Amino acid sequence: MSARRATAAGLLCGAAVGVAAAALVTGGSAGGAAPATPALPGLPAPAGQGLAIPRPRPLGPQDHVSQWAPVRRPLVARRRPAAGAARVTRLGLRTPEGTRNLVRVLGRRTGADRRVWVHVALAVLPNGSTAWVPRRALGAYEEVTTRLVIDTRTLRATLYDRGRRVFRTRVGIGRAESPTPRGDFYVRNRLERYRSPAYGPLAFGLSARSETLTDWPAGGYVGIHGTDRPDLVPGRISHGCIRLRNADIRRLGRLMPVGTPVRIR
Amino acid sequence: MSADFGLDLAVLDRDGALEEARAGLSRRSFFVGVAAGAGGLLLYRGTDAPAQTAADIDVLNYALVLEYLQAAFYTEAEQAKAIKGRAGEAASTVGAVERAHVKAFLDALGSKAVKRPQFDFQGVTEEPRAFLKTAVAFEDLAVAAYKGEAPKLQTPAIITTALGIHTVEARHAAWMRYLYGIRPAVNAFDEPRTRPEINKIVRETGFVTSTPQTRSSQAPRYTG
Repeated sequence: MSARRATAAGLLCGAAVGVAAAALVTGGSAGGAAPATPALPGLPAPAGQGLAIPRPRPLGPQDHVSQWAPVRRPLVARRRPAAGAARVTRLGLRTPEGTRNLVRVLGRRTGADRRVWVHVALAVLPNGSTAWVPRRALGAYEEVTTRLVIDTRTLRATLYDRGRRVFRTRVGIGRAESPTPRGDFYVRNRLERYRSPAYGPLAFGLSARSETLTDWPAGGYVGIHGTDRPDLVPGRISHGCIRLRNADIRRLGRLMPVGTPVRIR
Repeated sequence: MSADFGLDLAVLDRDGALEEARAGLSRRSFFVGVAAGAGGLLLYRGTDAPAQTAADIDVLNYALVLEYLQAAFYTEAEQAKAIKGRAGEAASTVGAVERAHVKAFLDALGSKAVKRPQFDFQGVTEEPRAFLKTAVAFEDLAVAAYKGEAPKLQTPAIITTALGIHTVEARHAAWMRYLYGIRPAVNAFDEPRTRPEINKIVRETGFVTSTPQTRSSQAPRYTG
Protein backbone atom coordinates (compact mmCIF):
# COMPACT_ATOMS: atom_id res chain seq x y z
CA MET A 1 0.00 0.00 0.00
CA SER A 2 1.34 3.36 -0.98
CA ALA A 3 1.65 6.13 1.55
CA ARG A 4 -1.19 8.05 -0.14
CA ARG A 5 -3.51 5.02 -0.06
CA ALA A 6 -2.68 4.37 3.58
CA THR A 7 -3.51 7.96 4.44
CA ALA A 8 -6.84 7.76 2.60
CA ALA A 9 -7.73 4.52 4.35
CA GLY A 10 -6.89 6.09 7.67
CA LEU A 11 -9.08 9.10 6.93
CA LEU A 12 -11.97 6.91 5.85
CA CYS A 13 -11.59 4.83 8.98
CA GLY A 14 -11.49 7.94 11.12
CA ALA A 15 -14.54 9.34 9.36
CA ALA A 16 -16.43 6.11 9.96
CA VAL A 17 -15.62 6.20 13.65
CA GLY A 18 -16.63 9.86 13.76
CA VAL A 19 -19.96 9.13 12.11
CA ALA A 20 -20.53 6.24 14.48
CA ALA A 21 -19.71 8.40 17.47
CA ALA A 22 -21.99 11.15 16.21
CA ALA A 23 -24.79 8.64 15.78
CA LEU A 24 -24.30 7.46 19.33
CA VAL A 25 -24.26 10.99 20.69
CA THR A 26 -27.17 12.40 18.76
CA GLY A 27 -29.40 9.42 18.44
CA GLY A 28 -30.37 8.78 22.00
CA SER A 29 -33.10 11.28 22.64
CA ALA A 30 -35.27 10.18 25.53
CA GLY A 31 -38.40 8.53 24.43
CA GLY A 32 -37.64 8.91 20.74
CA ALA A 33 -37.26 6.16 18.19
CA ALA A 34 -34.35 3.84 18.93
CA PRO A 35 -31.22 5.14 17.22
CA ALA A 36 -29.60 2.97 14.58
CA THR A 37 -26.71 1.20 16.24
CA PRO A 38 -23.57 1.58 14.16
CA ALA A 39 -22.11 -1.71 13.05
CA LEU A 40 -18.39 -1.98 13.64
CA PRO A 41 -16.45 -4.28 11.37
CA GLY A 42 -15.28 -7.46 13.04
CA LEU A 43 -17.80 -7.28 15.87
CA PRO A 44 -21.03 -9.28 16.02
CA ALA A 45 -24.25 -7.33 15.50
CA PRO A 46 -25.69 -6.20 18.83
CA ALA A 47 -28.81 -7.92 20.10
CA GLY A 48 -32.04 -5.99 19.74
CA GLN A 49 -34.01 -4.75 22.71
CA GLY A 50 -35.65 -7.49 24.72
CA LEU A 51 -38.39 -5.26 26.08
CA ALA A 52 -40.27 -2.47 24.44
CA ILE A 53 -39.40 0.53 26.61
CA PRO A 54 -42.15 3.11 26.27
CA ARG A 55 -41.67 6.84 26.34
CA PRO A 56 -41.44 8.45 29.78
CA ARG A 57 -44.90 8.54 31.30
CA PRO A 58 -45.71 11.93 32.82
CA LEU A 59 -48.07 12.00 35.75
CA GLY A 60 -51.61 12.23 34.40
CA PRO A 61 -54.23 14.76 35.46
CA GLN A 62 -54.87 14.67 39.20
CA ASP A 63 -58.24 16.46 39.09
CA HIS A 64 -60.17 13.38 40.11
CA VAL A 65 -57.65 11.87 42.51
CA SER A 66 -58.41 11.94 46.22
CA GLN A 67 -56.07 10.71 48.90
CA TRP A 68 -56.63 9.11 52.26
CA ALA A 69 -54.30 7.67 54.85
CA PRO A 70 -54.62 5.29 57.78
CA VAL A 71 -53.81 6.49 61.27
CA ARG A 72 -50.45 4.95 62.14
CA ARG A 73 -50.45 5.79 65.82
CA PRO A 74 -52.90 7.44 68.21
CA LEU A 75 -52.60 11.18 67.84
CA VAL A 76 -54.02 14.56 68.69
CA ALA A 77 -55.46 16.44 65.73
CA ARG A 78 -54.88 20.17 66.00
CA ARG A 79 -56.45 23.34 64.70
CA ARG A 80 -53.25 24.58 63.09
CA PRO A 81 -50.07 22.82 61.89
CA ALA A 82 -48.19 23.22 65.13
CA ALA A 83 -47.61 20.96 68.12
CA GLY A 84 -48.84 23.66 70.50
CA ALA A 85 -52.00 24.50 68.58
CA ALA A 86 -55.46 23.96 70.04
CA ARG A 87 -56.63 20.38 70.15
CA VAL A 88 -59.55 19.38 67.90
CA THR A 89 -59.86 15.73 68.81
CA ARG A 90 -57.91 12.59 69.52
CA LEU A 91 -57.69 9.94 66.80
CA GLY A 92 -57.37 6.27 67.62
CA LEU A 93 -56.15 3.40 65.48
CA ARG A 94 -59.52 1.69 65.00
CA THR A 95 -63.06 2.49 64.01
CA PRO A 96 -65.95 1.16 66.14
CA GLU A 97 -66.19 -1.66 63.60
CA GLY A 98 -62.61 -2.72 64.26
CA THR A 99 -61.21 -1.57 60.93
CA ARG A 100 -58.24 0.72 60.62
CA ASN A 101 -59.11 4.32 61.30
CA LEU A 102 -58.44 6.55 58.34
CA VAL A 103 -58.62 10.19 57.39
CA ARG A 104 -59.17 11.95 54.12
CA VAL A 105 -56.16 14.03 53.06
CA LEU A 106 -57.00 17.60 52.08
CA GLY A 107 -53.55 19.18 51.90
CA ARG A 108 -50.17 19.50 53.55
CA ARG A 109 -47.84 22.13 54.86
CA THR A 110 -44.47 22.38 56.54
CA GLY A 111 -45.04 23.87 59.98
CA ALA A 112 -42.91 26.37 61.84
CA ASP A 113 -41.36 23.34 63.55
CA ARG A 114 -40.15 22.26 60.08
CA ARG A 115 -42.23 19.11 60.29
CA VAL A 116 -44.74 18.17 57.62
CA TRP A 117 -48.35 18.47 58.75
CA VAL A 118 -51.31 17.05 56.88
CA HIS A 119 -54.69 18.75 56.70
CA VAL A 120 -57.34 16.07 57.10
CA ALA A 121 -61.09 15.61 57.20
CA LEU A 122 -62.30 13.96 60.40
CA ALA A 123 -65.10 11.61 61.35
CA VAL A 124 -66.23 13.65 64.35
CA LEU A 125 -69.00 16.03 65.30
CA PRO A 126 -69.58 18.67 64.20
CA ASN A 127 -69.76 17.12 60.78
CA GLY A 128 -67.29 18.57 58.31
CA SER A 129 -64.58 19.08 60.93
CA THR A 130 -61.02 19.28 59.68
CA ALA A 131 -57.71 19.45 61.52
CA TRP A 132 -53.95 19.16 61.15
CA VAL A 133 -52.01 16.03 62.06
CA PRO A 134 -48.27 15.24 61.90
CA ARG A 135 -47.41 13.41 58.68
CA ARG A 136 -45.52 10.75 60.56
CA ALA A 137 -48.57 9.78 62.55
CA LEU A 138 -50.21 8.63 59.32
CA GLY A 139 -49.47 5.63 57.15
CA ALA A 140 -49.15 5.37 53.39
CA TYR A 141 -51.20 7.62 51.18
CA GLU A 142 -53.84 5.76 49.23
CA GLU A 143 -55.64 7.08 46.17
CA VAL A 144 -59.12 6.83 44.79
CA THR A 145 -60.55 8.30 41.61
CA THR A 146 -64.18 7.84 42.59
CA ARG A 147 -66.64 10.16 44.31
CA LEU A 148 -70.22 9.58 45.36
CA VAL A 149 -72.93 12.21 45.37
CA ILE A 150 -76.14 11.71 47.37
CA ASP A 151 -78.91 14.07 46.40
CA THR A 152 -81.39 14.27 49.27
CA ARG A 153 -83.89 16.18 47.13
CA THR A 154 -84.10 13.71 44.24
CA LEU A 155 -83.24 10.68 46.41
CA ARG A 156 -80.51 9.58 44.05
CA ALA A 157 -76.98 8.29 44.55
CA THR A 158 -74.53 8.84 41.72
CA LEU A 159 -71.01 7.43 41.59
CA TYR A 160 -68.38 9.03 39.38
CA ASP A 161 -65.02 7.56 38.42
CA ARG A 162 -62.49 10.04 36.99
CA GLY A 163 -65.39 12.38 36.51
CA ARG A 164 -67.47 9.96 34.50
CA ARG A 165 -70.77 8.70 35.85
CA VAL A 166 -70.56 4.95 36.40
CA PHE A 167 -73.52 4.21 38.66
CA ARG A 168 -76.80 5.78 39.62
CA THR A 169 -79.70 4.57 41.71
CA ARG A 170 -82.57 5.66 43.94
CA VAL A 171 -82.01 5.66 47.69
CA GLY A 172 -83.74 5.92 51.01
CA ILE A 173 -82.56 8.65 53.39
CA GLY A 174 -83.27 9.89 56.89
CA ARG A 175 -86.69 10.89 58.14
CA ALA A 176 -87.40 14.48 59.15
CA GLU A 177 -86.65 13.76 62.82
CA SER A 178 -83.39 11.95 62.02
CA PRO A 179 -82.14 13.58 58.84
CA THR A 180 -79.19 12.40 56.82
CA PRO A 181 -76.49 14.98 57.51
CA ARG A 182 -75.36 17.08 54.57
CA GLY A 183 -71.79 17.93 53.76
CA ASP A 184 -68.57 16.41 52.52
CA PHE A 185 -67.59 13.04 53.96
CA TYR A 186 -65.67 9.90 52.99
CA VAL A 187 -66.07 6.12 53.12
CA ARG A 188 -64.27 4.77 56.19
CA ASN A 189 -64.86 1.05 55.96
CA ARG A 190 -66.72 -1.77 54.34
CA LEU A 191 -68.63 -4.48 56.19
CA GLU A 192 -69.94 -7.71 54.68
CA ARG A 193 -70.71 -11.32 55.53
CA TYR A 194 -72.42 -10.23 58.74
CA ARG A 195 -75.81 -11.48 59.91
CA SER A 196 -78.03 -8.49 60.09
CA PRO A 197 -80.72 -8.51 57.38
CA ALA A 198 -81.81 -4.95 58.11
CA TYR A 199 -78.48 -3.77 56.67
CA GLY A 200 -78.60 -6.03 53.61
CA PRO A 201 -75.53 -7.87 52.31
CA LEU A 202 -73.06 -5.00 52.39
CA ALA A 203 -72.54 -1.78 54.32
CA PHE A 204 -70.16 1.14 53.89
CA GLY A 205 -69.37 3.26 56.93
CA LEU A 206 -69.11 6.99 56.39
CA SER A 207 -67.31 9.69 58.32
CA ALA A 208 -70.71 11.36 58.75
CA ARG A 209 -72.49 11.18 62.10
CA SER A 210 -76.10 11.71 62.98
CA GLU A 211 -76.61 15.13 64.52
CA THR A 212 -79.77 13.99 66.30
CA LEU A 213 -79.06 10.39 67.37
CA THR A 214 -75.86 11.24 69.20
CA ASP A 215 -76.37 8.51 71.79
CA TRP A 216 -76.72 5.78 69.17
CA PRO A 217 -74.45 2.77 69.86
CA ALA A 218 -70.90 3.19 68.53
CA GLY A 219 -71.36 6.92 68.02
CA GLY A 220 -74.23 7.21 65.59
CA TYR A 221 -72.24 6.91 62.39
CA VAL A 222 -74.10 7.06 59.12
CA GLY A 223 -73.72 4.23 56.65
CA ILE A 224 -74.68 3.30 53.12
CA HIS A 225 -76.15 -0.18 53.10
CA GLY A 226 -78.70 -2.63 51.78
CA THR A 227 -82.09 -3.33 53.30
CA ASP A 228 -84.69 -5.96 54.07
CA ARG A 229 -87.41 -3.45 53.13
CA PRO A 230 -86.76 -2.68 49.46
CA ASP A 231 -90.37 -1.56 49.14
CA LEU A 232 -89.49 1.60 51.12
CA VAL A 233 -86.79 2.70 48.67
CA PRO A 234 -86.80 5.45 47.50
CA GLY A 235 -88.08 7.42 50.45
CA ARG A 236 -87.36 9.33 53.63
CA ILE A 237 -87.45 6.31 55.82
CA SER A 238 -84.20 5.81 57.78
CA HIS A 239 -82.51 6.97 60.97
CA GLY A 240 -80.02 8.86 58.83
CA CYS A 241 -78.35 6.07 56.86
CA ILE A 242 -78.59 5.82 53.10
CA ARG A 243 -80.39 2.67 52.09
CA LEU A 244 -80.11 0.99 48.70
CA ARG A 245 -81.86 -2.06 47.35
CA ASN A 246 -79.62 -5.10 47.80
CA ALA A 247 -78.85 -5.54 44.13
CA ASP A 248 -77.80 -1.89 44.00
CA ILE A 249 -75.57 -2.02 47.06
CA ARG A 250 -73.86 -5.10 45.62
CA ARG A 251 -73.25 -3.25 42.39
CA LEU A 252 -71.97 -0.21 44.26
CA GLY A 253 -69.72 -2.55 46.23
CA ARG A 254 -67.99 -3.57 43.03
CA LEU A 255 -67.33 0.03 42.03
CA MET A 256 -66.66 2.08 45.15
CA PRO A 257 -63.45 1.65 47.16
CA VAL A 258 -62.91 2.68 50.75
CA GLY A 259 -61.68 6.26 50.92
CA THR A 260 -64.14 7.51 48.29
CA PRO A 261 -65.28 11.09 49.00
CA VAL A 262 -69.03 11.37 49.55
CA ARG A 263 -70.98 14.58 49.11
CA ILE A 264 -74.46 14.63 50.61
CA ARG A 265 -76.40 17.62 49.38
CA MET B 1 -22.76 2.35 46.76
CA SER B 2 -22.48 5.64 48.52
CA ALA B 3 -21.48 4.59 51.96
CA ASP B 4 -18.62 7.09 51.75
CA PHE B 5 -21.21 9.85 51.96
CA GLY B 6 -23.36 8.12 54.53
CA LEU B 7 -26.21 7.95 52.08
CA ASP B 8 -27.12 4.33 51.73
CA LEU B 9 -30.53 3.26 52.90
CA ALA B 10 -29.23 1.51 55.96
CA VAL B 11 -27.78 4.80 57.14
CA LEU B 12 -30.96 6.66 56.29
CA ASP B 13 -32.73 4.29 58.55
CA ARG B 14 -30.45 5.13 61.44
CA ASP B 15 -30.21 8.86 61.21
CA GLY B 16 -33.81 9.70 61.87
CA ALA B 17 -35.16 10.26 58.38
CA LEU B 18 -37.29 7.19 58.79
CA GLU B 19 -37.99 7.43 62.47
CA GLU B 20 -41.19 5.95 63.89
CA ALA B 21 -41.51 3.84 60.82
CA ARG B 22 -41.69 0.35 62.04
CA ALA B 23 -43.78 0.04 65.15
CA GLY B 24 -46.96 -1.87 64.84
CA LEU B 25 -46.91 -2.54 61.13
CA SER B 26 -46.90 -6.05 59.80
CA ARG B 27 -44.99 -5.73 56.60
CA ARG B 28 -45.44 -7.92 53.64
CA SER B 29 -42.26 -9.66 52.71
CA PHE B 30 -40.83 -7.46 50.03
CA PHE B 31 -39.88 -10.16 47.62
CA VAL B 32 -42.36 -12.89 48.43
CA GLY B 33 -43.96 -12.27 45.09
CA VAL B 34 -40.64 -12.60 43.34
CA ALA B 35 -39.99 -15.93 44.97
CA ALA B 36 -43.43 -17.14 44.00
CA GLY B 37 -43.00 -15.87 40.47
CA ALA B 38 -39.70 -17.65 40.15
CA GLY B 39 -41.11 -20.85 41.60
CA GLY B 40 -43.53 -21.77 38.88
CA LEU B 41 -41.41 -20.67 36.02
CA LEU B 42 -42.60 -21.41 32.59
CA LEU B 43 -41.14 -19.95 29.51
CA TYR B 44 -43.08 -16.89 28.60
CA ARG B 45 -43.13 -15.39 25.17
CA GLY B 46 -44.99 -12.13 24.76
CA THR B 47 -46.01 -10.86 21.38
CA ASP B 48 -42.91 -10.10 19.34
CA ALA B 49 -40.80 -10.50 22.46
CA PRO B 50 -37.75 -12.68 22.53
CA ALA B 51 -38.05 -15.93 24.47
CA GLN B 52 -37.40 -15.48 28.16
CA THR B 53 -35.84 -18.19 30.25
CA ALA B 54 -36.82 -18.98 33.80
CA ALA B 55 -33.79 -17.04 34.99
CA ASP B 56 -34.76 -14.04 32.88
CA ILE B 57 -38.27 -13.99 34.31
CA ASP B 58 -36.92 -14.19 37.82
CA VAL B 59 -34.61 -11.23 37.27
CA LEU B 60 -37.27 -9.20 35.45
CA ASN B 61 -39.67 -9.65 38.33
CA TYR B 62 -37.00 -8.68 40.79
CA ALA B 63 -36.23 -5.56 38.78
CA LEU B 64 -39.95 -4.83 38.51
CA VAL B 65 -40.26 -4.63 42.29
CA LEU B 66 -37.40 -2.14 42.45
CA GLU B 67 -39.01 -0.13 39.69
CA TYR B 68 -42.35 -0.19 41.53
CA LEU B 69 -40.55 1.22 44.55
CA GLN B 70 -38.89 4.04 42.63
CA ALA B 71 -41.95 4.89 40.56
CA ALA B 72 -44.13 5.08 43.68
CA PHE B 73 -41.57 7.28 45.42
CA TYR B 74 -41.33 9.89 42.67
CA THR B 75 -45.05 9.77 41.92
CA GLU B 76 -45.90 10.50 45.52
CA ALA B 77 -43.40 13.36 45.58
CA GLU B 78 -44.90 14.87 42.45
CA GLN B 79 -48.43 14.53 43.78
CA ALA B 80 -47.53 16.12 47.10
CA LYS B 81 -46.04 19.16 45.30
CA ALA B 82 -43.80 19.81 48.28
CA ILE B 83 -40.55 19.39 46.36
CA LYS B 84 -39.98 22.60 44.45
CA GLY B 85 -37.43 23.99 42.01
CA ARG B 86 -34.82 21.84 40.35
CA ALA B 87 -35.45 18.93 42.69
CA GLY B 88 -39.15 19.02 41.84
CA GLU B 89 -38.33 19.10 38.15
CA ALA B 90 -36.02 16.11 38.62
CA ALA B 91 -38.71 14.24 40.53
CA SER B 92 -41.17 14.72 37.66
CA THR B 93 -38.68 13.71 34.98
CA VAL B 94 -37.27 10.71 36.79
CA GLY B 95 -40.72 9.63 37.92
CA ALA B 96 -41.94 9.56 34.33
CA VAL B 97 -38.99 7.37 33.40
CA GLU B 98 -39.49 4.98 36.31
CA ARG B 99 -43.16 4.61 35.38
CA ALA B 100 -42.05 3.75 31.84
CA HIS B 101 -39.77 1.08 33.25
CA VAL B 102 -42.64 -0.38 35.25
CA LYS B 103 -44.83 -0.49 32.17
CA ALA B 104 -42.09 -2.16 30.14
CA PHE B 105 -41.65 -4.91 32.71
CA LEU B 106 -45.39 -5.40 33.12
CA ASP B 107 -45.85 -5.66 29.37
CA ALA B 108 -43.00 -8.12 29.07
CA LEU B 109 -43.98 -10.31 31.99
CA GLY B 110 -47.72 -10.34 31.39
CA SER B 111 -49.42 -12.68 33.84
CA LYS B 112 -46.05 -13.62 35.36
CA ALA B 113 -45.56 -10.12 36.78
CA VAL B 114 -45.51 -9.82 40.55
CA LYS B 115 -48.07 -7.53 42.15
CA ARG B 116 -47.16 -4.08 43.31
CA PRO B 117 -46.33 -3.98 47.02
CA GLN B 118 -47.77 -1.32 49.29
CA PHE B 119 -45.35 1.52 50.02
CA ASP B 120 -45.28 3.96 52.88
CA PHE B 121 -42.63 6.64 52.44
CA GLN B 122 -43.44 8.17 55.80
CA GLY B 123 -43.19 11.75 54.69
CA VAL B 124 -39.80 11.73 52.98
CA THR B 125 -41.53 12.65 49.71
CA GLU B 126 -42.66 15.89 51.33
CA GLU B 127 -39.40 17.11 52.88
CA PRO B 128 -36.91 18.42 50.30
CA ARG B 129 -33.70 17.29 51.98
CA ALA B 130 -35.10 13.92 53.02
CA PHE B 131 -36.46 13.47 49.52
CA LEU B 132 -33.13 14.06 47.84
CA LYS B 133 -31.25 11.96 50.33
CA THR B 134 -33.61 9.06 49.77
CA ALA B 135 -33.53 9.57 46.00
CA VAL B 136 -29.75 9.29 46.01
CA ALA B 137 -29.99 6.11 48.05
CA PHE B 138 -32.68 4.61 45.79
CA GLU B 139 -30.82 5.36 42.58
CA ASP B 140 -27.53 4.04 43.90
CA LEU B 141 -29.36 0.98 45.13
CA ALA B 142 -30.98 0.37 41.76
CA VAL B 143 -27.66 0.72 39.96
CA ALA B 144 -26.05 -1.77 42.31
CA ALA B 145 -29.00 -4.15 42.01
CA TYR B 146 -28.96 -4.19 38.19
CA LYS B 147 -25.25 -4.83 38.29
CA GLY B 148 -25.76 -7.69 40.72
CA GLU B 149 -28.48 -9.31 38.62
CA ALA B 150 -27.02 -8.84 35.16
CA PRO B 151 -24.88 -12.00 35.17
CA LYS B 152 -28.01 -14.10 35.75
CA LEU B 153 -29.69 -12.97 32.54
CA GLN B 154 -29.49 -15.41 29.66
CA THR B 155 -31.24 -13.85 26.69
CA PRO B 156 -28.95 -11.39 24.88
CA ALA B 157 -31.78 -9.04 23.95
CA ILE B 158 -32.88 -8.79 27.57
CA ILE B 159 -29.31 -8.18 28.67
CA THR B 160 -29.22 -5.29 26.22
CA THR B 161 -32.39 -3.83 27.70
CA ALA B 162 -31.22 -4.32 31.27
CA LEU B 163 -27.99 -2.53 30.49
CA GLY B 164 -30.00 0.26 28.90
CA ILE B 165 -32.01 0.70 32.07
CA HIS B 166 -28.94 0.34 34.24
CA THR B 167 -27.23 3.30 32.61
CA VAL B 168 -30.38 5.38 32.93
CA GLU B 169 -30.49 4.61 36.65
CA ALA B 170 -26.84 5.63 36.87
CA ARG B 171 -27.69 8.97 35.24
CA HIS B 172 -30.49 9.43 37.75
CA ALA B 173 -28.07 8.65 40.56
CA ALA B 174 -25.65 11.27 39.29
CA TRP B 175 -28.45 13.82 38.90
CA MET B 176 -29.77 13.30 42.41
CA ARG B 177 -26.27 13.36 43.87
CA TYR B 178 -25.59 16.66 42.14
CA LEU B 179 -28.83 18.14 43.47
CA TYR B 180 -28.06 16.88 46.95
CA GLY B 181 -24.73 18.65 46.76
CA ILE B 182 -22.30 15.78 46.51
CA ARG B 183 -20.03 14.75 43.68
CA PRO B 184 -21.88 12.57 41.18
CA ALA B 185 -19.02 10.19 40.45
CA VAL B 186 -16.09 9.50 42.72
CA ASN B 187 -15.45 5.77 42.45
CA ALA B 188 -13.36 4.11 39.78
CA PHE B 189 -15.46 1.00 40.16
CA ASP B 190 -19.00 0.54 41.48
CA GLU B 191 -19.70 -2.58 43.49
CA PRO B 192 -22.74 -4.73 42.71
CA ARG B 193 -25.15 -5.67 45.48
CA THR B 194 -26.48 -9.17 45.93
CA ARG B 195 -30.18 -9.83 46.16
CA PRO B 196 -30.12 -10.64 49.90
CA GLU B 197 -28.26 -7.41 50.55
CA ILE B 198 -30.78 -5.37 48.59
CA ASN B 199 -33.72 -7.12 50.22
CA LYS B 200 -32.36 -6.51 53.68
CA ILE B 201 -31.72 -2.82 53.05
CA VAL B 202 -35.15 -2.20 51.58
CA ARG B 203 -36.93 -4.18 54.27
CA GLU B 204 -35.17 -2.25 57.00
CA THR B 205 -36.34 1.09 55.67
CA GLY B 206 -39.92 0.24 56.54
CA PHE B 207 -41.00 1.64 53.18
CA VAL B 208 -42.70 -1.63 52.29
CA THR B 209 -45.84 -1.98 54.30
CA SER B 210 -49.11 -3.87 54.38
CA THR B 211 -52.48 -2.77 53.09
CA PRO B 212 -54.55 -1.29 55.93
CA GLN B 213 -57.48 -3.42 56.99
CA THR B 214 -60.58 -1.53 56.01
CA ARG B 215 -63.01 -4.45 55.78
CA SER B 216 -64.73 -6.40 58.48
CA SER B 217 -67.51 -8.92 58.97
CA GLN B 218 -68.68 -7.25 62.16
CA ALA B 219 -72.36 -6.40 62.13
CA PRO B 220 -72.95 -2.71 61.38
CA ARG B 221 -74.04 -0.38 64.15
CA TYR B 222 -74.70 2.55 61.87
CA THR B 223 -77.87 4.48 62.53
CA GLY B 224 -79.77 2.37 60.00
